[in-house]
Amino acid sequence: MNRVAYYTGCLAALSAKELNSATKALAPKLGLELVELESVTCCGAGDIHEAEPDYYLHLNARILAYAEATGCETLMTICNVCTLNLRQANWQLKNDQELRARVNKNLKTVGVPAYSGEVEVRHLLWLIAEGDGYEQLKTAAHKGLKGLKVAPFYGCQILRPSKILGFEDPDRPWSLEAIIQACGGEPIDYPAKIKCCGFPIIQAREEVALSELIQPIEQAVEAGADAMVTPCPLCHLSLDAWQLKLRKSTGKDFAMPILHLSQLIGVAAGLEESELKFKRHVVSVDPVTQKLEV
Amino acid sequence: MDVALKIWRFDPQSGERVLREYEVDAPEWACLLDVLDLIKDKHDGTLAYRKSCRMMICGSCGMRMDGRAVLACKERMKPIVDAGHVPVISAMGNMPVLKDLVVDMGPFWGKIRSVKPWLDPGYDEVAEKERVVSQQEMNVIHKEALCIMCGCCVSECNSMEADPEFTGPAALAKGFRFVGDARDQADVERLNALNGEHGIWDCTRCYFCNERCPKGVDPRDAIAKLGAESVKQGIDHDMGAKHAKWFVRSAETTGWLRETELVPKTQGLVSAIKQTGFALKLARKGKVPPPFPPHVAADVKEARALRELTQEQGREGALGIVQGEHALGRIEFTEEAGVRENAPEIQPGVEPPHAEG
Repeated sequence: MNRVAYYTGCLAALSAKELNSATKALAPKLGLELVELESVTCCGAGDIHEAEPDYYLHLNARILAYAEATGCETLMTICNVCTLNLRQANWQLKNDQELRARVNKNLKTVGVPAYSGEVEVRHLLWLIAEGDGYEQLKTAAHKGLKGLKVAPFYGCQILRPSKILGFEDPDRPWSLEAIIQACGGEPIDYPAKIKCCGFPIIQAREEVALSELIQPIEQAVEAGADAMVTPCPLCHLSLDAWQLKLRKSTGKDFAMPILHLSQLIGVAAGLEESELKFKRHVVSVDPVTQKLEV
Repeated sequence: MDVALKIWRFDPQSGERVLREYEVDAPEWACLLDVLDLIKDKHDGTLAYRKSCRMMICGSCGMRMDGRAVLACKERMKPIVDAGHVPVISAMGNMPVLKDLVVDMGPFWGKIRSVKPWLDPGYDEVAEKERVVSQQEMNVIHKEALCIMCGCCVSECNSMEADPEFTGPAALAKGFRFVGDARDQADVERLNALNGEHGIWDCTRCYFCNERCPKGVDPRDAIAKLGAESVKQGIDHDMGAKHAKWFVRSAETTGWLRETELVPKTQGLVSAIKQTGFALKLARKGKVPPPFPPHVAADVKEARALRELTQEQGREGALGIVQGEHALGRIEFTEEAGVRENAPEIQPGVEPPHAEG
């Protein structure tokens, strides 16, 4: 078992509870032992970085410090935005002793253990796209996906900026395709798979956000996808829930089922509905479950 | 070495767009711009592209290679030839194409002009003594001052694609270059102008600009600095600023995002009420978590105490981002190799994205 500290992030504990439950049920099948962190907070989602960047750094240092205190080498994330925010703070703390010393002094003042810079932040996607994780995935996904046509949607903050993320070529990523194929699905290609879903500005600039959101959904429909899969619960919320608003504004009902990464693998690994919780989706996943007879 | 290229040609007179393939013999040290020069010189004198310095200073030769905005003078061709790849060259995106690889930069310059890219020192008569700027003060705008205005950051900007009026990464980075300048006295006025429609809070954080910038300006980070300076100065009337501030409030009160309250806190109560129908549909699926009792992180008092400490220590605003730049600049390698051994063969469904003709 690979013991990893597990950072759920806000959404998987709130509106995307299905992601948390699917991930927890799936982890042992992928050889992952999840160590839950009790007293961590939100990573700031880029918003605290933009409003009060020094506070952002301290909040993330606190998360990293508690992750390090578990003795795990890896802090596993299940959200693009958490991944970028934590990795960015991590590089800042790893590469600048003076900055780390100041932050640690503040952590100590409020009773948080110091962070020495030894934790690596990795998204679940990266843990299972190669190496041992990939081998475990192939075994776990024994039920397969019966050639289900799946359009991978990466979202932004797991690819760019590649200097901070750096797992794969941000313009020609491959990890989701590899996983879809290992699960017995057929990856569908379309250009908007690396573009933005619009979620960060969906509250403040809905119109702009919706004209970003429509591109991947429209292209996935045109390419003949049965479903889309994303490693990010924010992309999921916008692709799934805001699809309703696209129906209203464009008159088109795409009816495109959107799966979390853990759910897609979960289906192939034979998880139950009580763990996958497809009923929590706004756009029905029935066409997928019917095709797979689950 | 033999270099093969495909180029999207556009003839404004006939309106015809065609993808032409070229093969030239080029020296091993050739960059993309050298190859274009050879094509123009020896094969087809009608090929149109911009160039000047040939050394990444003038910012003239921005164009797309396989859908990525690059400076033609910065891209070495040998590794591409060695890989047996035939790249597709096209004009930059988000700007109208005039001919072949030449785009109309008019709107781009208009946006740069709109941020008043000159120093406003706040006096009419020049002081007798020289104003000396310290290295520390210059460090704040060091990255933004590197911009050569090539347009590569704008080419793939997702927000500008959705809203062509968006001020965009290049002009906003230029805006911060003056907001952050110790000698400039117009920062509040500038920040007020950059908040509001088509301004800093239009940025969707797709990070294409940071990825594409050939000079390391990192325009998205400059936009975040403008946001941080706005919040610091109390310029928070924009919904984007309210949205950002609610995350701070959430973190120091419950630790986690108070998701359901985010809509009224961002848009105001009236707009939020208009969203009731949508919210109810989401609520039926459990997508509107009840705000009471709040989901509170253990030991959240630590997060609150950290906010108090950071507020006392005077690194609010852009400084909070600038302080981490030294460390980020020292990322020399990425620890994950990103081996492609499991990458399936994907048949791309479409050609790489190309600029509108």
